[in-house]
Amino acid sequence: MRLLLIEDDQEAARFVLKGLRESGHTVDHAADGREGLFRATEGDYDVIVTDRMLPHLDGLAIVQVLRQQGRSTPVLVLSALGTVDDRVRGLKAGGDDYLTKPFAFAELLARVEALQRRRSGTQTVTALRVADLELDLLGRRVTRGGHVIELTAREFNLLEFLVRRAGQVVTRTMLLEGVWDLQFDPQTNLVEVHISRLRQAVDRDFDKPLIHTVRGAGYVVRE
Amino acid sequence: MRAGRHLFSSSLRTSAFRAALIYCLLFTLGVSGLLGAIYLITARVLAREVDNVILIELGALADEYDQDGVPGVVGELNRLHGQWERAGAIYLLVDRSFTKLAGNLELWPFSKLPRAPWLEFEMETQRAGKPVHYPVRARVFTLSDGYLLVGTEISQRRKFQQSFRNATLWGIGSTALLGAMLGFWLSRRLMARVRAVSAECERIVAGDLSRRLPVGGARDEFDALASAVNRVLARLDEQTGVLRATFDSAAHDLRGPLARLRGRLEELQRAAAMDEFVNVNIERALQDIDILQRTLATLLQIAQAESRAPLADSAWVNLGGLAQEIASLYEPAARDQGITLRCETLDAYVTGSRQLLAQLISNLIENALKHAAGGGEIGVSVREAAAGVLLEVMDRGPGIAAQDRERALRPFVRLNSAVTTGSGLGLSLVAAIARLHDAQLTLEDNAPGLRVAVAFRSVEGAQR
Repeated sequence: MRLLLIEDDQEAARFVLKGLRESGHTVDHAADGREGLFRATEGDYDVIVTDRMLPHLDGLAIVQVLRQQGRSTPVLVLSALGTVDDRVRGLKAGGDDYLTKPFAFAELLARVEALQRRRSGTQTVTALRVADLELDLLGRRVTRGGHVIELTAREFNLLEFLVRRAGQVVTRTMLLEGVWDLQFDPQTNLVEVHISRLRQAVDRDFDKPLIHTVRGAGYVVRE
Repeated sequence: MRAGRHLFSSSLRTSAFRAALIYCLLFTLGVSGLLGAIYLITARVLAREVDNVILIELGALADEYDQDGVPGVVGELNRLHGQWERAGAIYLLVDRSFTKLAGNLELWPFSKLPRAPWLEFEMETQRAGKPVHYPVRARVFTLSDGYLLVGTEISQRRKFQQSFRNATLWGIGSTALLGAMLGFWLSRRLMARVRAVSAECERIVAGDLSRRLPVGGARDEFDALASAVNRVLARLDEQTGVLRATFDSAAHDLRGPLARLRGRLEELQRAAAMDEFVNVNIERALQDIDILQRTLATLLQIAQAESRAPLADSAWVNLGGLAQEIASLYEPAARDQGITLRCETLDAYVTGSRQLLAQLISNLIENALKHAAGGGEIGVSVREAAAGVLLEVMDRGPGIAAQDRERALRPFVRLNSAVTTGSGLGLSLVAAIARLHDAQLTLEDNAPGLRVAVAFRSVEGAQR
């Protein structure tokens, strides 16, 4: 993946660049808003990651200019302003995702990859399938190896969110945002409990587990 | 009618109106005293004047009698009768058997000789064929062979007295009425100004420090007071601004090093993948950073809610539906702890931030879960109440003693020393979010346990 990182904090940029490159991505770096906008409009990137507060030009302003030019490159906004309200404003301004500093690198990576996938596949589907697990999105029915699995509405949503991103790491906060529409982090380990219940239903009676835990990052559904 | 009475009774309770009333009462008393005195003195002067005239004439006639006896008096009376020297003069000379000898009165007006020196009686005469009565004041002088009555018709004096008394009473009455009206109007005016000021103060207390009290052009004591309060507000606003800016930049500047710390630790984690001891410690350090980060985020969230900046995502929120969702999010975790999470909600809408309201509900449920440790039941309910929408979260934990309830809402206060998890900011954030939504937060006894009630104002109230 070709990525652009716009970040003025040299130290923070170093960690992110190193991590992204180690994960196999090509990353360009811009150290201020003006350079960032120049690179963003000149280059062809899969995903742009920008800090919100930058010298010369604000991160949200960059997003606005890009959108005015008709560019739909997904943008992940990083910010030290971490309140719910700032997040809502950031997303309203045209950012595709918003991550509060400091963040775990795994969180950033998962979100960048999710943004890239979102861009490539947006066609509507009525059924999802991973190995022998099948989701009928219209009838909201789940079967595995031909057996019907009973799920609550919320468990179905959770499974659908994971299966739509099969093979891709999904973090706890991504699940909270995507399934429960909560933009803050509850203190209790709620997501773990929900996942473990989902596992009971989906994986317990089968040899090959489909829901995997990625240590320090989140969960992934794959064969 | 009822509104009018209420208006009056509420006016009566203001000190301005009471002062005006007392002032009006004293003023009326003063005016009454003054007018009364004038009336009495005038009446007495007039009465004395009449009496003096009668006494002088009586004296002159007595002298005549001493010189010439009854014929002299008769002659004098006939002379006076012809002249009509004095308007309304009444003379009558009678003998011992009260038979008229001379004068302009036909009959002795009494049955016999009256005892009192001064007499007042009604005299009847004919005018244009009709009987007319006149009041008369007179004195009787006893002669050796008769009686002499000298008097004056006093209907003018009576009329004057009547008019004077009426005028005095009208004066007193209108003074009292005018005073009361003026007092009422004055107190209404003062009250209107006080109301305007206190309404503005309410809005300022509600968090809008940019507002100022109205200062009119009158430069009176109210304006002086308002100006002084406005100066205090300006100072407070400025300080709050400085504090907020300091807080924001402190939070921002803390996040930088925290981000670098996390970055370094993650780098280390990747490099030292084989050493279990190092790995475990790095993992714990990262968890500590998470805690720090969460506390910082909550503090920032409280600060932002307290600053009451307009919400970015203000909308109609179905509080009942939201509570149901959050409860379903916590339900499995509660079940794992052996706690039943019961949720009874109706669709009830409030205006506000869905995210902040979700955070409020989660914090309350988390708080209840923490204190209901070891089983029991947690209740979440949303219903329409008289004043608006009522959200309640109830647990069966130890509860909070009445005297500690206010303290429990302050940041970093942990009442239960046995509970060490959590930042100690949960309820503070709940309080800040409730305040931001104009909702009333109360902690109550759930007998046993804690009942937290958040009363949102009705939609009409919230849209105001």
